[in-house]
Amino acid sequence: MSKKECVAMLLAGGQGSRLGVLTKDVAKPAVSFGGKYRIIDFALSNCANSGIKTVGVLTQYRPYLLHSYLGTGGAWNLDESDGGVSILPPYATQSGGAWYAGTADAVTQNIGFIEQNDPEYVLILSGDQLYRMDYQEMLANHKRHEADLTVAVMPVPWEEASRFGIITQDADARIVKFTEKPNKPDSNLASMGIYIFDAKLLVDTLKADAVDQSSEHDFGNDIIPKLLADGKRLYTHEFNGFWRDVGTISSYHETSMDLLGSHPAFDLFDAGAPIMSNASTRPPAYVGPHGEIDDCLVGNGARIFGKAVHSIISTDACIGERAIVEASVLLPGACVKDGAHVVRAILGEHSTVEEDVVLGSVDQTRDTAVIGNNVVVGKGEE
Amino acid sequence: MEKILGIITANYSTKYPSVLSEVRPVASLPFLGRYRVVDFALSNMVNCGIRTVGMIMPYNYRSLIDHVGSGRDWDLNRKKGGLFILPGSAFGTSRTGSRFLLRDLAHNKVYMQRGSSDLCIITTASFVYNMDYRDLVAAHRASGADITVLTKKASGKDVDVCGFAVEDGRVTGVKHGVKFGDTAFLDCFVVDRKLLLQMLEWYAQTDYLDLFEALAPDYGRVKVQTYDYEGYAAAIFDKDAYFRANMDLLDPKISAELFPEGRAVRTKAHDNAPAKFEAGSHVSNSRISGSARILGSVTNSILGRGVTVETGASVSNSIVMQGCVIETGARVEYAIVDRNNVVPAHTELRGTPDALFIKDKAEA
Repeated sequence: MSKKECVAMLLAGGQGSRLGVLTKDVAKPAVSFGGKYRIIDFALSNCANSGIKTVGVLTQYRPYLLHSYLGTGGAWNLDESDGGVSILPPYATQSGGAWYAGTADAVTQNIGFIEQNDPEYVLILSGDQLYRMDYQEMLANHKRHEADLTVAVMPVPWEEASRFGIITQDADARIVKFTEKPNKPDSNLASMGIYIFDAKLLVDTLKADAVDQSSEHDFGNDIIPKLLADGKRLYTHEFNGFWRDVGTISSYHETSMDLLGSHPAFDLFDAGAPIMSNASTRPPAYVGPHGEIDDCLVGNGARIFGKAVHSIISTDACIGERAIVEASVLLPGACVKDGAHVVRAILGEHSTVEEDVVLGSVDQTRDTAVIGNNVVVGKGEE
Repeated sequence: MEKILGIITANYSTKYPSVLSEVRPVASLPFLGRYRVVDFALSNMVNCGIRTVGMIMPYNYRSLIDHVGSGRDWDLNRKKGGLFILPGSAFGTSRTGSRFLLRDLAHNKVYMQRGSSDLCIITTASFVYNMDYRDLVAAHRASGADITVLTKKASGKDVDVCGFAVEDGRVTGVKHGVKFGDTAFLDCFVVDRKLLLQMLEWYAQTDYLDLFEALAPDYGRVKVQTYDYEGYAAAIFDKDAYFRANMDLLDPKISAELFPEGRAVRTKAHDNAPAKFEAGSHVSNSRISGSARILGSVTNSILGRGVTVETGASVSNSIVMQGCVIETGARVEYAIVDRNNVVPAHTELRGTPDALFIKDKAEA
């Protein structure tokens, strides 16, 4: 391995338990999104588009689909002989083995990977966030500030601030205070969970953290407060674009809807920084003689004979004659049979809504309907 | 599957020069919005397990090399075997109607001499079909033939398709053109590798002939059997056939035959977003590729990747290739619009079912 300037460690082991049936069989980063993508595509594409060519992907929960999807990393131009994508699952040593017990612990257990690549900087990323970012800009800020750690931040609505790690900075963007999920936030500048560390400092800090009995081995809870207390140079990198952590069914649904409209909040059509994916090759979407489609994203292989409004119709999904799909997300291979009516619903991969079944409700106060992968919803089961 | 050597003669040019084929060989004609014609030959090869494929290139190979690259999208980027780019004779089979020019094959003896495969499957890249070549190989083994040609009963007159005279499944002669009920050649055959090399010696003096023409006096000696393919197959020899084959894929039954579960037609991967159907768009009986953006109306048509149909524009009974923009109020009817064209606002490109309007490729 030659020396690298910056390697990325992509945390992709999370279960995403609040996504319910969508993560029953697959890790959250492998959940389908946006018609043809999986959530991890966004972070991997950002790496590729930012020229970060060495990416360690830390996996743990339900990894089969994620691992096969990552393959050699070629889909994201990350199949380089000296670097590229490396899959990093928990492993055993002479003294035993352990599951990843926190974000920092996952990286600690892979210090060997960092040392093998010998970078100057380590970029820590989450595999479950949707955004487009040029990490080189963040790295340039990190160098300019001669920082030990740079945290990507963005302003969030005040009422949501207590969900995040909240940062107070001085006029030079140096972090003066960091509070994980404060009850009474005194700033609305939230950490996005994207960090650039000086590599040597990261390794030393993680080694110390590993033997700290009181630590939960979490970047937000433990590592950042520790470095701040030690008087290290912590700076922010402010981001003002679209960024979502789709933690729940309702945020998954909402974020999907953000892709729609004539001026979408998040535009997948951006040739300058394409979101790449390891998509299967399917023929172009077919719209039948009576198909009606209004404000939808439609993936290849989809077949639409009925009506689809303000929805995402993913690869190989189908909508039968007289069927209506509104404000919904059909994941790859989902099928809404003839005469069925689906409103505000998420249909899992290869799930089926049988003929004339009515699913979901326009009532915004009711939960978004969710059907798991491969589930069939028959008449009377809705 | 036993080891088989694949050869694709991708250097066929149609006898009917049109603006579509002037800039590219038939093999790299865009098909159904996101494919190129060669994808079918390549996919048929790799889907039956072949991992060594030589492609005999046309002189105007830029678009073809751009498309196939290292062969990665067909799993042909092998450490051993994989995709071999082979030379063709100066102008290949340009406009002669020949498919398997002996000279082209003889040029590439070295490729055929290497390796340990017993059999070769040789095909052109000018037909669209999706079949399991293991059926062809099984028939070849069962009959003990020297060569087994892939054929189909002709459903109508076609002067460009080769036909075979056949007695009890054995070829007795070859001719240009077929009529209804004739045995039409799908320009694909399986042959013993060593016999192929021998034949190149036999016919070295007449290397300007097509293999099956050269064989004409020898059909009594060389056992050439037919294997009839029952599924959908379309020859792409002229612009009308090209148009018809694209439109065939608006029929869900034909679609299901050409794109069956588990036997994908592979093509070069692109990072296109899904197609976007904006509010107020109207699309009926059409195929829409990734990154297309539709605000206007599209009927009975095939849209390539990244095509934009603006508000008030209409496209009907047409093929619009990658990167075109149909501006506000423009109208495209019975047309084939090649890549990267902008059809200006409130203008018309109109052909008729009998005389398609062809708009040639524009600069990117």
